[in-house]
Parts: sequence; structure tokens; C-alpha cells
Amino acid sequence: MRKKAWCEAGTGYLLLSPTLFVLLLFIIGPILFAIFLAFHKVQLLGTTTFEFVGFDNFKRMTGDLRAKIALWNTVKYVVIVVPCQTMLALVLAATLNAGLKGQKFFRIVYFLPTLTSSAVLTLIFMWMYNQNGLINDLLQAVGLPTYNWLGDPKVALNAIMVMNIWSTAPFFMVIYLAALQDIPDSLYEAAELDGANAIQKFWYVTVPYLRPVTSFVVIMGLIGTFQLFDQSYIFSAGSGGPNNSTLTVVLLIYQYAFKTLGTMGYAAALAFALAIIILIATLVQRRFSKEESLY
Amino acid sequence: MKKWLAIGMSTMLFGSALAGCSSGNEKTAGKETGGTKDEKVEVTLAGWGGNPTEQKLLQQTLDEFQKKYPNIKVKYEVISDQYMDVIKTRLVGGEGPDVFYLDAFEAPALIKTGALESLDQYVTDDFDINDFEKPLLDAFKGEDGKIYGFPKDYSTLALFYNKKMFQEAGVEVPKTWDELREVAKKLTKGTQVYGFGVAPELARLYYIAESKGGKVVTDNKASFADPKVVEALQPIVDMHLKDKSAAQPNEVGANWGGEMFGQGKAAMVIEGNWAIPFLKDTFPNLEYGTAEVPTINGKKATMAYTVAYVMNKNSKKKEAAWKLLSFLTGKEGMKIWTSKGLALPTRKSVAAELGFDKDPLRAPIVAGASYATVWQNGTNLPIITNNFNNQFVSAFLGQRPLADALKEAQETANKEIEGNK
Repeated sequence: MRKKAWCEAGTGYLLLSPTLFVLLLFIIGPILFAIFLAFHKVQLLGTTTFEFVGFDNFKRMTGDLRAKIALWNTVKYVVIVVPCQTMLALVLAATLNAGLKGQKFFRIVYFLPTLTSSAVLTLIFMWMYNQNGLINDLLQAVGLPTYNWLGDPKVALNAIMVMNIWSTAPFFMVIYLAALQDIPDSLYEAAELDGANAIQKFWYVTVPYLRPVTSFVVIMGLIGTFQLFDQSYIFSAGSGGPNNSTLTVVLLIYQYAFKTLGTMGYAAALAFALAIIILIATLVQRRFSKEESLY
Repeated sequence: MKKWLAIGMSTMLFGSALAGCSSGNEKTAGKETGGTKDEKVEVTLAGWGGNPTEQKLLQQTLDEFQKKYPNIKVKYEVISDQYMDVIKTRLVGGEGPDVFYLDAFEAPALIKTGALESLDQYVTDDFDINDFEKPLLDAFKGEDGKIYGFPKDYSTLALFYNKKMFQEAGVEVPKTWDELREVAKKLTKGTQVYGFGVAPELARLYYIAESKGGKVVTDNKASFADPKVVEALQPIVDMHLKDKSAAQPNEVGANWGGEMFGQGKAAMVIEGNWAIPFLKDTFPNLEYGTAEVPTINGKKATMAYTVAYVMNKNSKKKEAAWKLLSFLTGKEGMKIWTSKGLALPTRKSVAAELGFDKDPLRAPIVAGASYATVWQNGTNLPIITNNFNNQFVSAFLGQRPLADALKEAQETANKEIEGNK
């Protein structure tokens, strides 16, 4: 009996082995190796050395001013971008679901930004953000002050925020749109009979019904924004400038891993810390949304 | 429906992957030209791409080399972006090219890792090592005194000025930094034309920073918060904030000084040899002249930037790699490479033969070589530079006093250096 169970399990694992192998090689292995790196001082070039340093890499973070700036920038970015893109996505989805004429056309148009590669998008936006670019021209035309979007530390991160909200909101819009079509009409009818107006229907029927989806959108948004890298990398040509204003945690990890020699261990420690921060943020979000069943 | 979508998606992905492959092959295939087929050694050479004229010149040099050594085939690879990251990663992975470009700025740190082959053992009398400009050669010497690379070319900085604007304003080309400041005021026209286009980066300000006796780097650590350095840099900030006669390129929507100058948004910029072919190609009608960088405290100063060919220590074809390296940096190869003046020769004999010191646009750049500071200082300069640039901008934009900004930058840089030990 026992032998048979083993046999069955063995066959099962044998059949699973290709998947397991891929998982181990490409996901679990690298994670374990990253944790290993985080506790070592690593020199890869020339003579490769791994020197065990215990928690030194983590201790170093507490005194690293640039790590603090990077974390602050990232948190600021998350706190502004996630609510904005979630709300924008919801509003867009609701309008597209209202049965307007030509909504299929608008659905496609709204979705287009998400289809563009983020690197290309960033380059296009850099043109528009240029001192003599489209955005400044528009601001000037309506009598608003213009900015040096790329060069002024005060606005550089905001420029990336705007761009990112614009490009990711449509993706979440599609998710909302699918969920909206699931809401039974009977709920709206009942609300109408009770004398609810359009805003009340939205607020008391649509929003609560979409809560699980909102939870998903917020979690994905949190993870995505905490990992901000490509936009700020292209914006600042990898430096995180001007004046560290576009330095994000992932960009800092990249700098330590590939720019400076011999700090791969510290970079791995930072990556590990970021993973924990994202985990905590996700847990906090789940506690707030009181939604346990879905994920 | 779903199935079709899936098939469509995978074909698209697959297609794009293939497209990536084929274009990659084409690139290398295009470069592999010439030579016979028996017993060939293939040497890889990696560098960043230049403009088309530069590429053509290099190809010409390589063709000449392959004619001379028909058994060696050179595989030329262009790493167009993030050159150092790619090189470092490839060296770590054991896939490094045999011979590659290395900027003097990055050299000390890379030499220290032991990833480069020291070249002294290969040098023959024929190669004539004393022919190189000494400061440029010294930039590629390790702490052990061995040579790890031979400089292929260099450029110094010179003052580029717009002749028409100078005529209209009725001013002379400045000889000293004080004159430059006065002239810049007269040349400025609101926010349309700035007298002086400045790059607020350490690479371009280093010689100014040290002009009052302060040191930017001391004992491989940042020391640019020194009051003497602050005093030396203050005029640059003042020109931007008080005189409003200087601006950085992105304030007028340009990407770099040469472009700003070409577009007529700056009457003066301090740039190097690289700006000359750019201006010729992009702004052929611009009338401009060059002069030596104005003196500070009566002393001449400028920067020199140089790049060398170095050899990978793990190369399996060192013999052939040395032949290539010594040809490229030898008299013959260097003469072809620098013949058009896109880059200036680091060998005295080649420089004398090509006579760029008589070329009106290039003469000030050549003259600078004798007193220039080579852009390099120890293994930690990249960290120091990154921190300096980040904070200097905030002072340049007037968000806080220069002394405070530099003090914070110095502390951050030194903490980072300390942490890396």
C-alpha cells in the first residue's frame, strides 16, 4: 500500500518534472541565490569572490542617504499613482459601460496607450516634455506657467507620474469593464425603484460590487509602481537625476548591481528589502479591503 | 476565438524573436569582410558606435589590418548603449570580447579587478611606446605600474563661439574667465539666446573646480566641499542665477552643448573635437570659431578625454589580439583612424604628420593637450561624479546654496565609498 502511494507520487513528480525543473532553474533558484548574495560581499569581475558578511549589507542601508531618497521617491510615487490610476480606470470603465454611441471605438482608443512599449512611450513623452515641446506649448497657450520637466528636480518625478497614470489606467480599465458587465441589471432596477439617481447608483451599487476587482487592481498597481524602473531610467539616462529626484529603489538596485563594481551583494540586499516592503504593502491593503476570499 | 488569439499571439512573439535574430546576424555578417579562408583566427573587437563617417574609418583601418594579417579575421561588435554595463556583464560571464574600448574614466576600477591583460610583455621596440603623449598613456597604467591599454585617440575642450553673434554684439573673444563672464552678459538676449551654454557636470567642470587650489578628489575620496572648490565653481552658478547669461542645454530644449550652440541658443559653449563633425553635418551654415579655454587666475586649463584599446585577460587568442591592438594603436593604424580629424592622434609622430595643429578649428584643441587635466582620478571617480552631478544641479538651479549642496554630495559619496570597501 505504502509502496503504491510512493509509486503514484513518483509518477506524478516525473510528469511534473519539466515544470518543476523550469520553476527551480528560473524562479526558485534565482530567489535563493539572491538571498545568498544578500549576505555576502561579492566581487564578480576578475577573480570571483564571495565573502560572508552577515547582516552588514542590511546595516549599510540604514546609513545610505541615497537609499532613503530612493525609498521616499518610490513611496511618493506609489501613494499618488495607485489611487489616481485606479479611480481613472473605474471612471473610464463606467463611462464606456454606460451604453454611449461608439463605445467600442472608444474602448480601442483608450486601450492603445497600454499597447505601446513603455520604453517607446517614455521617449515620446521626453519629446513632449522638452522645454520647447508640446506640453509646454499647450500650457503657454492657456496661460499657465511652463516647466523644465526633464531638468527641474521639483517636477521630474511628477512628469513620470502623469505619464504612467496615462499609460496604465487603460489596462485596469479593461479589467473593470469585464467586471462591470457582470453586475446584474436587477440591482440597478431595484435602486431605480428606490429613487436613486445616477451618482447614487454608481456609488452604492457599482463601487461595492466591484470591490474584489478593486482589490486586485490595487494590488497589481502597488506591485507595478513599487517596481518603477524603465521610465525613470530613460528619463535620467540611468543616473536618477536631476538631484536624485527620479531615483527609485529599483534604479538604485540596478546602479549598485551593474554600475559600481563589487556591490552586487548590497544590491541583492536592497532587492530583498524591496520585496519585503511590497509584501507588507500588499498585506496592509488586504486588511483594509477586508477581502479574503479571492486571492 | 480564444484559441485563434493564442495562436496569433504566439506567432507574433515568435516572429519578433526571429526578426531580432536575423537583424543581429546581419549586423555581424556585414562587418565580416575580406581575408582568406585557411586556418583563421577570429578576434572580437567591441566598441561603441560612432557616426557613419567614424564607422567607415574604423572599417577602413580594420580592412587594412586584415590585408596585412590575412589569417586574422576581426569580428567587430558595436555596443550602442550602456557600454560599460554590457562589457562588465560579458566579462563576468566569460564572454568578453578579445579587444575593446575603455574610457580613461573607467580604467582604474577595471584594471584593479584584474580583468585586463597587462601589455608590457608584448611591447617591442618597433611599437615605440615613447611616441605616445605621456599623460594619456599614464591614464592606463595600473597601481602596479604596468600598462593595460594604449590610447587610441583623445580630445580636449575648447571654447566654441558664434562669429555672427560676436560681431553683432561687438565683443572680442574672451581670453580670461572674467572676460567670458562680461561677454556672456552682452551676448544674452532674454531666454532666447544665452551667452554661455554650460554642462553642469563634473566631467566638464573638473578643471574649473580645481583652479583655485582645491582638490575634487583626495586619497580616492571626494573632497569637493573644500571652500576653494566652492569658490571656483560659484561663478558658474552666478552666471546662471544672477547674470542669467548661462543655461544648461535642457533649459532651451537641447540635448547637449553642441546642439544648443548649433541651434543658435548659446553664443559660446565649451566642447571638444566631437562637436566639429557634428556641427559640420547638422548645422553646415553655422559660422563659428574655436579658441583655447579662457584662463582662470592667469593659468591655462582644460580637460582631456581619452579612450584606449585594452585586452581581455581571459582571451584565448592573445597573440592575434595583440596584433590587432598594436596595429590599431600603432603608427600605421592610428594614421588611418585619425586621418579625417574626427579623433586626434595620441602619438606625437602621427600628430606631427597629420598637422592638426595647423587646422584653424582644431588648433586650440590640440594646443590644450599640453596643459590639460586627464579626466580620471582613481577607482572611485564614477561614484564621486554621480553624487556631484546630482547635487550640483540643485545649486545650479538655485534651490540651495552651492556650499550646502556640495557638502551633502561629498558626505553621500564618501559614505558610499566607505560602504563599498
